Amino acid sequence: MREREAMAGTTAPVVIVGAGHSGVAVAAGLRARGWEGGILLLDAENEAPYERPPLSKDLLKDGAPDGSAVLRKEKFYQDKRIDRLAGSTAESINRKGQTVLLSDGSRHAYHRLVIATGSRARPLTVPGAGLAGVQSLRTRDDALELKRMLVPGARIAIIGAGYIGLEVAAAAAARGCEVTVLEFQDRVMSRVTSVPVSRHFERLHERHGVRFVFGAAVTAIEGGGRAERVVTADGEVFRADVVLAGIGVLPNQELAADAGLDCRDGILVDGDCRTSDSAIYATGDVTRFTSPVDGASQRLECIQNAVAQADKVAAHITGHEAADPEIPWFWTVQHGVRLQTAGVRHPEDEVIVRGDPLTGRFSVVYLRDGRLSAVDTIAGLADFRPARKLIAQSALIEPILAADPGIPLADAILKDLDPTDPDPTDAAPAAARI
Amino acid sequence: MSNNKLTVVDREGSTHDLEWEPDQTLMEALRDNGLPVLASCGGTASCATCHVFLEKEVFDTLGERSEDELELLAEAEGYRECGSRLSCQLGFSRDLNGVTVTLAPEE
Ligand SMILES: Cc1cc2nc3c(=O)[nH]c(=O)nc-3n(C[C@H](O)[C@H](O)[C@H](O)COP(=O)(O)OP(=O)(O)OC[C@H]3O[C@@H](n4cnc5c(N)ncnc54)[C@H](O)[C@@H]3O)c2cc1C
Ligand code: FES
Repeated sequence: MREREAMAGTTAPVVIVGAGHSGVAVAAGLRARGWEGGILLLDAENEAPYERPPLSKDLLKDGAPDGSAVLRKEKFYQDKRIDRLAGSTAESINRKGQTVLLSDGSRHAYHRLVIATGSRARPLTVPGAGLAGVQSLRTRDDALELKRMLVPGARIAIIGAGYIGLEVAAAAAARGCEVTVLEFQDRVMSRVTSVPVSRHFERLHERHGVRFVFGAAVTAIEGGGRAERVVTADGEVFRADVVLAGIGVLPNQELAADAGLDCRDGILVDGDCRTSDSAIYATGDVTRFTSPVDGASQRLECIQNAVAQADKVAAHITGHEAADPEIPWFWTVQHGVRLQTAGVRHPEDEVIVRGDPLTGRFSVVYLRDGRLSAVDTIAGLADFRPARKLIAQSALIEPILAADPGIPLADAILKDLDPTDPDPTDAAPAAARI
Repeated sequence: MSNNKLTVVDREGSTHDLEWEPDQTLMEALRDNGLPVLASCGGTASCATCHVFLEKEVFDTLGERSEDELELLAEAEGYRECGSRLSCQLGFSRDLNGVTVTLAPEE
């Protein structure tokens, strides 16, 4: 209520730093929730705010237009009275005076400040990382630069077999490049999925001519002016015209950290996305928070989280209740095959393959203490929505039923248990009955 | 090309009249006019938060739904075999001028 009174009486705008998926969603959400005051949206990038997922997918395709999809049409910002300052970096925050200082020297007062600065590609630090032809992928400029280099016959070495590395591998292979993926772990996407899914996608890539080198620790990139070779710890040398580093991201937390806000590999926020200063919120890739599902401290790098947290910020500033957030979910498309994941898997979760990977279409179900924690769906979405619902309910799952793709996932729950019983190990006798 | 008119019934049952511009998908027209459509996948038929119901006569004039769209919809709250669509998969068309669109319930 106090907030709502403040809304009417205040003159300073809500200032949002960063116009990525999350920052733009905060601005839109504030208007949708009736915020009447000013909204100032600052962004370091120069162009209209755009979608990032296509940068490693459609945009790299041969003949695809260079313009990536914008998040909102220009007219939207005008209609909604959202003042956008493109090409302006926020340099520092004066918390006492409630102002932010921009790179152009201007200072802007805020009623509430929202830090939505996202993350940046983790830089490669080995010798030679600065050579021409070594590229990371975060912005549209990065994507266009990469696209220019993906010419037929070009040798491309991709360091890191995560989502982005593999999406680029698929795009490069489709454009006739010779693709080698160098990965330190012993399989692809090891951070986000289980062995059966990794193996499935490795075979898929190999069928399209992608070569994998596992256990590869890159120690140097060599070349005269341009990247020509990638060297690994065991002395192997890979010839490459283009090197893409897809080795994860770092949160852009410096603005917050310099202002004394609590940060620990991400800006720490509470359930309403407030930082340690009650006038300052943070949202999106840059935040670290406690999962309401399993209590884990986490940083999530996905659109779902960017949008859900933005809604929390807009709701809190306007004194409303936020919508129940969706269960975190992720997607990637490689060689036209979609992997879509609901929930956040832990490495120690029980793994149940649902269906036959050889058909090209299956799911993998993850259980933690007998309860559904995550589901991967490969080349099919039938299990995706039921999975989200059941994960939100922490449903107890009967593994034998879950392994049978002929049985709907929702029918694989153990229903006979007392739902108030907090001890999932009691599930054992019920499971034995089936 | 001029805008289409749309009537939208929200999840509380209130109706809204809005303009659908030729360069928007139906999802964008809904979202950009402030209706609570999360569209967390940016319109790539992945999230199903843009699920709407169309009248059967209107639905029948539209093309086939893709496999991804069908699978997402089939598991959705209140799925209608002849009425459910992902609004991000519907481009602007003169034939859809004046139609009524109902937002499907949230899960
Ligand atoms: C190539 C690629 C593909 C992806 N594919 C998917 C996918 O398929 N599915 C999925 O869910 N997620 C995907 N992601 C992740 C997703 O894009 C991010 O989770 C999302 O963009 C996070 O939104 P954000 O607003 O927190 O950050 P961002 O979108 O990164 O936006 C932050 C903005 O803040 C600006 N900024 C930073 N510091 C300052 C400053 N000091 N002053 C002013 N502005 C500043 C930056 O320039 C940037 O524009 C992908 C990411 C990439 C890079
Ligand atoms: S916007 Fe995600 S399915 Fe339509």
